[in-house]
Amino acid sequence: MRIYRALLVAQFQSMMQYRLQMFLYVFFSFIRPIIFLAAWSAVAAFQGGRIGSFDEPAFAAYFVTLTLVTHITMAWNSFEFEYQVRQGQLSPLLLRPLHPIHYAIATNVVWKLFTSVAVVAVAIFLAVTFHARFDTQPWHIALGIPSVLLGAALYFTFDYALATVAFWTTRVHAATTLYNRIAFIFAGQIAPLSLLPGPLQTIAYILPFGYMLGVPADILRGGPSFEQAVMLVAGQVVWLVIALVLFRVLWRAGLRAYSAVGA
Amino acid sequence: MRYLRLLGIFANTELQFAMQYRFNLLLEVMQIVIVSGTSVAAVLVLFSYTTVMNGWTLPQMIVLLGVYYVVQGVEELVFQPSFERFMEHVRLGTLDFILLKPASGQFLISFRHFQTIQVVQVLVGMLIVAIGLGQLGADLTPGNALAFVVTLVSGFTLIYALLMVLSTLCFWVVRVDNILAIFWAFIDAGRFPIDIYPGWLRFTMSTVVPVGIAVTVPAQAVAGRLDPIGTVTTAVGALVAWLFASWFWHQGLRRYTGASA
Repeated sequence: MRIYRALLVAQFQSMMQYRLQMFLYVFFSFIRPIIFLAAWSAVAAFQGGRIGSFDEPAFAAYFVTLTLVTHITMAWNSFEFEYQVRQGQLSPLLLRPLHPIHYAIATNVVWKLFTSVAVVAVAIFLAVTFHARFDTQPWHIALGIPSVLLGAALYFTFDYALATVAFWTTRVHAATTLYNRIAFIFAGQIAPLSLLPGPLQTIAYILPFGYMLGVPADILRGGPSFEQAVMLVAGQVVWLVIALVLFRVLWRAGLRAYSAVGA
Repeated sequence: MRYLRLLGIFANTELQFAMQYRFNLLLEVMQIVIVSGTSVAAVLVLFSYTTVMNGWTLPQMIVLLGVYYVVQGVEELVFQPSFERFMEHVRLGTLDFILLKPASGQFLISFRHFQTIQVVQVLVGMLIVAIGLGQLGADLTPGNALAFVVTLVSGFTLIYALLMVLSTLCFWVVRVDNILAIFWAFIDAGRFPIDIYPGWLRFTMSTVVPVGIAVTVPAQAVAGRLDPIGTVTTAVGALVAWLFASWFWHQGLRRYTGASA
């Protein structure tokens, strides 16, 4: 615990130098949901204001909670890790008594705390301009909060597992693109999971991506019934266990295969 | 004519440069195909619930998405790499060497560098446009085709002018990479017709950051949804923007004193 406090404080200090980057990041974070929210609103308007169980205010609510959930869950280890391996910065980190993952966790948490005020402001702005309507019951929030945290853990662990690819090759970028684009379709970014057509929806509920973003967002919006929500959270737990095992295996195998660049 | 020959030499150099990393090229091609493919899939998901989105049919939307990738590809092929190097030259003081060369400084900084791989992006974009046109049926009149070319070139000019002005700002403030990053945020919104966006965003995308015009208007033209007045207005707007950018560049240049002078 004390280690974490020190890590968090150090990270916070180094992040205060990048206020402009924060502004840009927030800017990016709200263009993407607006794009698809506007598209779905246009489609819904033509179909008499309703698609499936979603009307326009419900779409707005979904994309607002999605913005928040994306912010809380996202991770960027795969980019950073490749860089560290390529620049030879990983070797000294490996020699420290603390697993490198803890530095990554600290960076991740601080960045999110640091930017949260701006992101919440963005979410409120979106909710007001698009007339969002939330059907959230108190139990939705009680389930939604653990669901978001599970989503964050899942996102982080998978991303770190993907990052370990850098132990074998320093061209992680192609793998990351493939991973991100599959997530783009199946995580709930282009559409709420329940609106993906037929087979895509089945695939989305099998793959882990939806459990990172779409599921927590839909629970917080007040979408699923109690039974459905419990099932979805259970799905998150299952995937988290798989992700953790996968990460451990990959990390061990990767460390054995790793030799520093330039060595 | 001389400038065309120079352009050919630049392209050739950059191609040879890129060919050194063949495996990387292959990976990048793969990424371009994945990104474009998933974007088409996203549009198909939307249209599985409707036949029309704000007046746009599916084939028209496919055309629009293709134009989006053509515009993005051209932008990343020439403009982005060249302007990035230009700003670096200002920061490092090496711009002097470019200004001393016996050709227009503006031309040299705008078109010197290529990200050759983005040719593939442009080709993929054109392929998507062709598929959309095929779906649209054979009512592509010569008039529409002409309007398409005119508006597309105007769109490139608008984006060029914007990037030119933004990077010229580096004569006053040395670090402007971050201002350019705002442009990236908006270009993503070009993938859908701008008429579906709320007023403030539509306004931004058609004036300050004209990505929306550059993508939506050519797509309208080829789908036969643009009147001649729209074509002419876009062309005139582009011309004005280009003149302004050149003027602004000269203003900036007058202020330039070299990094250590």
